[in-house]
Amino acid sequence: MIEIGHLLTFLALGLSLAQGVFGFMGRRALAGRIALTAFVSMALAFLTLVVAFAQSDFSVALVANNSHTLKPMAYKLAGTWGNHEGSMALWCLVTLGFGAAGAVLMRTGREIFEARALGMQGLLAVGALAYLLFASSPFTRLDPAPFQGASLNPLLQDPALTFHPPMLYLGYVGYSFVFALAAAGLMEARIDRVWAKEARRWGLAAFVPLTLGIALGSYWAYYELGWGGWWFWDPVENASLMPWLIGAAFLHSVIVTEKRGGFAAWTALLAVLAFLFSIMGAFLVRSGVLTSVHAFAVDPERGLLLLLGLIFYGLIALVLFAVRAPRLEGGKGWSGFSREGALMANNIVLVVAALTVLLGTLFPLMAEAAGQTISVGEPYFNLTFVPILVLILAILPVVQAWAWGKADLSHWMKWALGGLGLVLVFAALGVGVFEISLGAAFGLALGMWLIFGALWELKRRAVSLRRVFRLQLRIWGMTLAHVGLGVFIIGAVVETTQRYESTIALPRDGTETVAGWSITLEDVRAIEGPNWYADRAELSIAKSGARATLAPMKRYYPAAQMPTTETAIYKTGTGDLYVALGERRDVDGEARWVFRVYFNPLIDLVFFGVFLMALGGFLSLLPRRRKVGAGS
Amino acid sequence: MKTVLAASLIFMAASAPLQDASEEARAQDLMREIRCVACENEPISQSSAPIAEDMRDRVRAMVGEGATDIEVRDWFAGRYGEFVLFRPSGGGLSGWLLWGGPFLLLLLGGAIGLVFARRHGDTQKDVEPEEV
Repeated sequence: MIEIGHLLTFLALGLSLAQGVFGFMGRRALAGRIALTAFVSMALAFLTLVVAFAQSDFSVALVANNSHTLKPMAYKLAGTWGNHEGSMALWCLVTLGFGAAGAVLMRTGREIFEARALGMQGLLAVGALAYLLFASSPFTRLDPAPFQGASLNPLLQDPALTFHPPMLYLGYVGYSFVFALAAAGLMEARIDRVWAKEARRWGLAAFVPLTLGIALGSYWAYYELGWGGWWFWDPVENASLMPWLIGAAFLHSVIVTEKRGGFAAWTALLAVLAFLFSIMGAFLVRSGVLTSVHAFAVDPERGLLLLLGLIFYGLIALVLFAVRAPRLEGGKGWSGFSREGALMANNIVLVVAALTVLLGTLFPLMAEAAGQTISVGEPYFNLTFVPILVLILAILPVVQAWAWGKADLSHWMKWALGGLGLVLVFAALGVGVFEISLGAAFGLALGMWLIFGALWELKRRAVSLRRVFRLQLRIWGMTLAHVGLGVFIIGAVVETTQRYESTIALPRDGTETVAGWSITLEDVRAIEGPNWYADRAELSIAKSGARATLAPMKRYYPAAQMPTTETAIYKTGTGDLYVALGERRDVDGEARWVFRVYFNPLIDLVFFGVFLMALGGFLSLLPRRRKVGAGS
Repeated sequence: MKTVLAASLIFMAASAPLQDASEEARAQDLMREIRCVACENEPISQSSAPIAEDMRDRVRAMVGEGATDIEVRDWFAGRYGEFVLFRPSGGGLSGWLLWGGPFLLLLLGGAIGLVFARRHGDTQKDVEPEEV
């Protein structure tokens, strides 16, 4: 079976090459048909891998190294992309998928431009497929085939992690098509409103799954790793945050290009950078150049090839940019105090934020090369990344109402006083009544300010309540995304400043009190699952009338010889009571079990806020509503 | 077996949170920025390694004795090397580059932005009502 898949992948490589050639020759229809065929070919090839995993065909090296007969079927299937080779096959599939989608959905009326975009996408697919076939082929047989597989890393056997890589890759690779559009636009030196309309949709099509992918990964880390936190500024997390920030900058900049024809060169540059940062993310994760808790599937030689690919495509794009950018049209004039000026400030801050993450992530590497070993972690980003972003968030509610060209500044005093008042109220309430720190009070005020600002902007645009539901979906999308940002900030501020953690050791029937909850260990027993066995503790928790049972587990996967923590979470309404089971210790002949207990207040808002951002992006992606009452 | 027992006795004795809530909060903040030397990229607040446990105890002991945050960080950096701090020190050229870099970039970006805005500011005749 997989031999057919292998052959089909070669076919996809040949077709992509043809797509590149015919695309650059301007044959739109032909390149489109080839793109569709290449996608179907790769989809079938990928299917042969999925089937091999489903059937536990251990004569396939990839399956033998990453699967096991006792694994639940869902994780057998997910195992296809839960490893280096399989994930690269997924990368290729998504690249070709975006090419095919582009062939069907592009509607600019510019035949040569579309053909070249498909050509560039073909060229990107050639790189990905060549890397797959010649540097990390999943189509290798083992002879003799082993009787049993080595299993998938048990940490990855989890529902959230089943969808995390495909989502993330839809995002990363989605930017490949934005890159292709930018390259095609630069070739004809035409980055204008028609171009922007098209590119914005594809930018959203990448941004939404990337956002969801990051959120899924974060949620997984939260409940699976048993550390109580949701973001660790780990290099691998940073690798996904950088393209997200650049992608967000692109989504704001492309609006200026779409509505006013401005920022053309800058928008094209961001379109290119979003994908280059995505490849760099893949390079950082796959090469293992960074010591990281996520160090799955590490291979330095492959890292080098990825780096070469990054440099190759980067050079193509940057040379194109350098040659064509001076010839791009400038758009309509504007003064600094205008929507253009506001969006420019947004872009400066988002790009600097992305570069800050880059600096913090790569700095230990550079220092190591200079003979120093240092670590850069959470405190660094809290003191650099956070204040830089706060700059733009604090002014967002005010400047989003600014008009194109030149803003009416007569209301700015009102806004400034309103914002200042909100901060003062929160500072007084927070520090005085609730005894939180001044920084946290400021953060809460900022979150409320953003939510208020987003709703105010909706009201301003709708003029009357009746018209709110007739607004364009993209206005709703913007509102939801900005409300989501505020919700996220409130959740993040409360969770990080007010969380409580404690380690307790309980004997059977022992009780301790953590964060007002009395926690009693009822029982610990050994249980068995399909491919693991575990110690499962039963805790009864109680606080003023509310009571519940929690059952955290410590699993052991014999096939992979790895333990995992299965945390138990009780939603109290104001937060999560989060318990992870630790070691067993014997004290004076009495067995005690160690539990790490966290109270994470408002943690749901963190994930809900990010989800709102993704939902907002999705609404913006939907086709334009017809004007109500226009006789449709 | 005896050593295990001894180790767990120490654990029981010292791993209890500090009595003073604000001291405990300060100790927990410090634990989040000190790196476990036996693990990959984990602060000692998250690690279950025995060495991390010892390091946590040391943080609590120092905070309990009234050491400042800087004294605690310095003690760990002196003992295990700069590597152990997730908040790298700001000294030297590299420190300036790391801590000043983001803000320098922001200034640079702002300056370029201002120049760019001024260059486009001369033609303000065609201000249209926004297109929604």
